[in-house]
Amino acid sequence: MTEEKINALKQMDTNLRDALKMDEAERAPMPADLNERLMQRVATQEKKPRRIVIWPWIAAACVAGVMIIWLTPPKQDTPTDVVVAENKPKVETPVVDKVETPKVDEAPKEIKAVKAVKRISVRSEEPMLAQETTTEEPVIAPVVNEPNTALAAVEVAKPQEKMVTLTERDIPITRPENYKYTPEEIALMKKQANEAYLKWVELEMEIAKNNLEQTAQNK
Amino acid sequence: MTETDIDLIGGLREQSPKAQKLMLQRYGNEVFAQVARLLPSTEDAEEVYQDVFVKVLRNIATYDAEKSSLRTWISRIAYNESVTWLRHKRQTVIYFEDHEGGAEKLTDAEVEETLGHPNSDTVQLIRAALKHLPPDERAIVTMFYYEEMSLKEIAYVTESIPTTVASKLSRTRKKICKIIKMLQS
Repeated sequence: MTEEKINALKQMDTNLRDALKMDEAERAPMPADLNERLMQRVATQEKKPRRIVIWPWIAAACVAGVMIIWLTPPKQDTPTDVVVAENKPKVETPVVDKVETPKVDEAPKEIKAVKAVKRISVRSEEPMLAQETTTEEPVIAPVVNEPNTALAAVEVAKPQEKMVTLTERDIPITRPENYKYTPEEIALMKKQANEAYLKWVELEMEIAKNNLEQTAQNK
Repeated sequence: MTETDIDLIGGLREQSPKAQKLMLQRYGNEVFAQVARLLPSTEDAEEVYQDVFVKVLRNIATYDAEKSSLRTWISRIAYNESVTWLRHKRQTVIYFEDHEGGAEKLTDAEVEETLGHPNSDTVQLIRAALKHLPPDERAIVTMFYYEEMSLKEIAYVTESIPTTVASKLSRTRKKICKIIKMLQS
């Protein structure tokens, strides 16, 4: 039924309207003191300090705290076994693979190595790195002249390398104490350099001699 | 909204006792009648009446003048409080329910003749029939025919829509006729 039709029926339904009017007229009136009672109730409610119920909030906070503690992951998740595995000492392979007798060719290499060491020593003279890590091992990279002693050195070094973790500090060239050479060492190096140079000159002369002989034979 | 209503709302928001008394004078009787119509006893009506105005004074800050008049807003609170009270008390009251659908079979002409044709006997029968209606239907009929509220206002009070209110009114008219016929037979 549409709204217009309903509104039209409102005027037509006289019996219903009369019945409602009679009902309302016979209804018990509102008690006279009801409003006063209501105002008293309102006044007492206003005077009462409003209670703030805190305990549900405290309970909720406690539950939240417990949940946070329960759900927070531990700081060290990785098991100790893994850490131990990761910290395994690095084992360096021994530098000396081949044992060769010294040749004339090696002389210039040694000279180059000496030059490089000298350049580093000039760059920084201030004390670097901890001294406690310095070991008692030989300082200079081994230049092996004799096969037996080299093998022996490797065999001695092997068990130690298993236990010690080598770091950059352990490289001889970076050690502070190796930046400077003693005069004896310098004299020795000069002597070796001269010998090597002489050997190199002899070798060049031999090569030239051979070349001349071969050219003469070819002709 | 009249200027006095605006002043009244302002006073109520400032918790002025004068404004509170004025509100009770203006709307008290109407609200009590509305509540008493829905509830079975006067004592219950007094209790709910107080609850209604306590709620009105407490929630006056939330009143929106654009949505409804102050009267309709208070009426809505009274209706809700009464319905809530009835639900909580769960009192066993027997009402007429048209399960067989007999009221729907009545023609519009029959209904109009019963409710529209002036007859004092029929008026008494209608009064008897009104007592057999459920409280919400009785409240809608009273708001529409007696308090002269529009369908939109009734919809606001009952938290419904005007179309639903119109169809409810139509069904209630037919139901009243059906009850009258039952009483006559």
